[in-house]
Amino acid sequence: MATVEERVKAVTARVLRLSSDEINMDDSFTADLGAESVQSIELVAMFEEEFGIEMDEDAALAVETVGAAVEFITNVCKEQGISIE
Amino acid sequence: MGKAKKKHRLVDAKEPNLLDDIFPYRLPPLIRLEGPVVEYIDGEAVQFDFGAVKDRPIVISDTTFRDGQQARPPYTIEQMVHIYDLLSRLSGPNGVVRQTEFFLYTKNDRETLERCLALGHDYPECTGWIRAVKGDFRLVKEAGLKETGMLTSCSDYHIFHKLKFRSRKECIDSYCEVVDAAFDAGVRPRCHLEDLTRADIEGFVLPFVDRLMEMSRQVPEEQSVKIRLCDTMGFGISYPGAELPRSIPKLIYKLNRECGVPSDRLEWHGHNDFHKVHTNAATAWLYGCDFVNTTLFGFGERTGNPPLESAIFEYISLKGDLCGIDTMVITELADYMRSIGLPIPDNYPFAGRAFNTTRAGIHAGGLRQDEQIYNIFDTGKLLGRPPRVAITDKSGADGVAHWLNEFFGLKGDDRINKIKVHKLARWVIDQYDEEGRLTAISDQELEAKAKELFPDYWAKYKGAS
Repeated sequence: MATVEERVKAVTARVLRLSSDEINMDDSFTADLGAESVQSIELVAMFEEEFGIEMDEDAALAVETVGAAVEFITNVCKEQGISIE
Repeated sequence: MGKAKKKHRLVDAKEPNLLDDIFPYRLPPLIRLEGPVVEYIDGEAVQFDFGAVKDRPIVISDTTFRDGQQARPPYTIEQMVHIYDLLSRLSGPNGVVRQTEFFLYTKNDRETLERCLALGHDYPECTGWIRAVKGDFRLVKEAGLKETGMLTSCSDYHIFHKLKFRSRKECIDSYCEVVDAAFDAGVRPRCHLEDLTRADIEGFVLPFVDRLMEMSRQVPEEQSVKIRLCDTMGFGISYPGAELPRSIPKLIYKLNRECGVPSDRLEWHGHNDFHKVHTNAATAWLYGCDFVNTTLFGFGERTGNPPLESAIFEYISLKGDLCGIDTMVITELADYMRSIGLPIPDNYPFAGRAFNTTRAGIHAGGLRQDEQIYNIFDTGKLLGRPPRVAITDKSGADGVAHWLNEFFGLKGDDRINKIKVHKLARWVIDQYDEEGRLTAISDQELEAKAKELFPDYWAKYKGAS
C-alpha cells in the first residue's frame, strides 16, 4: 500500500497537472506548485476523497506545503479512525 | 510633510466594536448630526441647528407624474393609478410622501386625477400644476384640488429671454395677478421659482417673495403662498461658503429668515445635471426646507430629479425610525417600472437588479462569513433583496458557495462549505479559461449546473423536478 506521502503527491500531481517526481515535501502549493484559488479547493476535496476523511475547511486551506499536508492528513485520519498503514 | 498635531493611542480590543448605534443594520445607517453649523452670510456668522431635523416635520413630495413624465412617453391612466396606489403604501399612515402633483390639461390628466382621488387615500395628497395663467385656476377648482403649483420663473434668462417681459416689475405684477386669482378661487398657490439658482436673488427674488408674503397675510393660513425653490439646471451648491445664487444654505436662509417664509411652506426641487441632486435635496432639509420634491427612481427632465427612494432612506437615516414607511414597496415599484418599459440601471442604488450584488470573490468571501461586511443594511428585510453574488471568473469558490447557499436558501450550519462546491467552481473557471467566455454566468445556467451537481440538495430544496 502506498504511503501517505505518495498518495498526497499523486493527488497533488493529478489536480495541478504535474509529475509526482516534480513535487517535493517542502514545496508550497501556491508559490512553488502554482495552485490557484479553485485548485486549492480541489486539492482539499480530492484529499478528502482519497483518504475518506472530512477536513475542517479553514484549517485545511491554511496548510501551505506538501509536507504539512502529509502531517495534517495523517492526524485527521487518526482522529477519524481511518487506517493509513 | 506636515507636523503631527496630536498623538493617537491605539485602543486595543479583543471584541469588535461594530458601531451598532450608527449602523443598526435593521435600518439604514443613521445620520447623527452635531451642531451648530455656521455659515457666513452678508458678513455675519449665522447658525443652523442640523440636529433639529430629527424633530422637524420634514416630508417628501413627489412629481413623478409631472416632471417625471416629462422625461418619457406618457403613462397610461391605469399605470398612473397603480403607481399612485403604490406611492400611498410606501408613504405609510404618517404621510411621509405627503403630496404628488398632476397635470390638469387633458381629458386623460383629469380622469387620472379623479381615479386617484377615488381611491380615498390620505397620502400622498393630490395637487395640481398649471401655467401662471389666470384662466387655469378653473381647472384646479373643477378638479377639487386645494393647492396647485404655478410657474413663476425668476432668472433674467426666463424673464426676458423666454417670457419676453419688458421689465422685472412687469413680470412681478403679472405673477401677482395670478396669485390673486388663486386666492379668489380659494386655491393655495405654490409658486415655483424656476431657475432660482441662476437668478438675481437680492434684486428680484427677495422683493418678489416679500410681496407674496404680504399678499399671504390677507388670506387664511391654509391658502398662504408656498414657495418651491427650483434648481432648474442643477446649479445648486450644498457646501458652506458657496456664493449666491448657487448656495443652497444662503437661498434658504434668505427666504426663511429674511422674508419669513416658514419652513413648512418651503420646498426644494432639484435636477441632476451635475450629479448633486440627492445631496442638494438633503441639504435643503437640513437648512430649513420641510419639503423636498422627488420622482420615483429620479426620472425627470434631462438628468432627472432627486430620487424618491433615496429621499426615503435619507429620511429614515435622519429620523432613526421607519416612521410608518413601507420600504418593501420600493422593490415592487421598481419591478413595476421595469415591466412597463422604464429601464433602471443594474447598479442603481436600492432598486437596480445588481445594487447589492458583488462580483469579487474576496467580497463574496466576506459575505459568506457575515453578510453585514458587504451589505449596506438588511436589504433582505427592508427591500426583499438579500445580498447576492454574480458569478464570473473573479468570483472564486467563495462566490460560488455564496450563490449556491442563497439559491438553496441554506443558513447557518446547513450551508454548503466551499470545499463541497469545487466541481461547480471548476466548471465556472473553465468557462473562462477553456471556453474563452467574456460574460457573467446567468442564474439560469448556474441553476442547471446546480441541479446536475447537487441532486440531493435539489431534491430536498427545489422539489424532485
